[in-house]
Amino acid sequence: MRNVSTIARREFFAYFGSPVAYIAIAVFLVLLGVTFFFKIPFLLPKDDFFEAKEATLRPLFEWMVFLFTIILPAISMRLLAEERKMGTLELLLTLPLTETEVVVGKFLGALGFLGVATALTLAYPILVTVLGNPDPGPIVGGYFGVLLIGAAYLAVGLLASAWTGSQITAFLVAIVICAAFTFVDRLPEALGLRAFEATNLMSFNAHFRSIARGVIDTRDVVFFLSVIVGAVALASHSLESRKWK
Amino acid sequence: MIEVQNLVKDYGPIRALGGVSFTVQRGEVVGFLGPNGAGKTTCMKIVTGFIAATSGQVTVDGKDVVEDGVEVRRRIGYLPENAPVYPDMTVREYLAFVAGVRAIPAADVTRRINDVAMRVGVVNVLGQEIGTLSKGYRQRTGLAQAMIHDPEILILDEPTSGLDPNQIVEIRELIKDLGRDRTVILSTHNLPEVTATCNRILLIHRGRLVADGTPASISAAQGGGNTFLVEIARRDGAHPVADVVARLQGVTSVLPVEKAGAIGEPFRIAGQGDTDLRPAIFDLAVRSGWALIEMRRERLDLESIFQRLTQS
Repeated sequence: MRNVSTIARREFFAYFGSPVAYIAIAVFLVLLGVTFFFKIPFLLPKDDFFEAKEATLRPLFEWMVFLFTIILPAISMRLLAEERKMGTLELLLTLPLTETEVVVGKFLGALGFLGVATALTLAYPILVTVLGNPDPGPIVGGYFGVLLIGAAYLAVGLLASAWTGSQITAFLVAIVICAAFTFVDRLPEALGLRAFEATNLMSFNAHFRSIARGVIDTRDVVFFLSVIVGAVALASHSLESRKWK
Repeated sequence: MIEVQNLVKDYGPIRALGGVSFTVQRGEVVGFLGPNGAGKTTCMKIVTGFIAATSGQVTVDGKDVVEDGVEVRRRIGYLPENAPVYPDMTVREYLAFVAGVRAIPAADVTRRINDVAMRVGVVNVLGQEIGTLSKGYRQRTGLAQAMIHDPEILILDEPTSGLDPNQIVEIRELIKDLGRDRTVILSTHNLPEVTATCNRILLIHRGRLVADGTPASISAAQGGGNTFLVEIARRDGAHPVADVVARLQGVTSVLPVEKAGAIGEPFRIAGQGDTDLRPAIFDLAVRSGWALIEMRRERLDLESIFQRLTQS
């Protein structure tokens, strides 16, 4: 545990010791603010905050998820790919650490970034509460869902980063996987078919929406936790497999 | 203390190690010597548990490096090739990070960092980002990292690469000093380095151990022989030197050799067994009225052994 927290702290401070974290957070907050305050019909056709005349943050959360599919892979891409490229992986893995400790520590460090980025959006629920009288359920559920889906993106990104020594490759692979699993529920519709259960079961977004409604269903939570644990375990395994190459 | 048994490592179709075995005792300073690509680094990576062997076994204090990896790595300080470091951390942050993973008590961390920084000479750059440091300082930071937990075993992959001559001398002194009370394995292709720091040499070539021993024992085993290089100037009309010397007790052969800038006649004189012929030759020269320009005992030095063993 102690080792995990040492690694996690190093990763967390590595983000905030370089411009990467600040740039990513700035981009995230600006894009979020723009969509929240301005009417951008093609992005949010129906649920625009002011049009809706309803104190809800649903469109905000939807947009956060969309931004996360791009920003979080950019955050997770360096986790292992950079170490591999610079040769510091050898240093790290010849310390008395297990692969699992390294991988979990790195995941938690990135999760710290997600926590900071998400905490900085708390201005919106405060604003909405001041202006109107929102139902707290969907707001709490929304944040819970955003954190879960974000953690799942980071876990997938970590796995992509374990596969390669190139950060760009890790970034692109992670985006493709995250986006595919997020929006797969829209596939039947796009193909002119009726919705079917399998795509909804796989879709990050479908599970996220379910949580964001404010009623927390264990199945959705278990879904995200399985994705996270599965991806982190695979990343650890992938790191370990270097030994036999 | 370190036992390596029949280590084989294949990288795909390429065999990097073809069955290497050796044992290193506590307190030995062992130099891993060999040309580039001989398998030195591979061997070190296996001992430190970064990669696994295709077959064979490595144990440290009886613990298997694969099964008891964490326990083994706790006892080892390792400086990988090219001294990889985190460029965005300062030297102090980096050493504190390693100290944290090495489970050094928080109260001792600052003292330990200052201690090792002093020993490797990075005190004046402790607050600097590693990315801004010269190769020499990075290398020393890597060395400091390997020493932070005062390990019983130090494994150093080319510890002096990238250092200037003064720094090389300093680091060699440090390694010798460290070797007094712990085990050091270092790799190098720099021959003077091994002679200066190691009391045992493992010469590795194409993934096989081709020699193992002290510089002197390897030299003897490789047929270093007992030869002397002598240059003598004689007066006109005196007896040919070769004939006279050849009659000396214990001399087996006298052969003229080429020598640039010779003012006399240079010979290589071989003697029986281990007898030092130099006093006898000197007396002979005095008796015969020769001027002895030069006389030295030839050792088959490491360089020639290295070349001989690795050029086949």
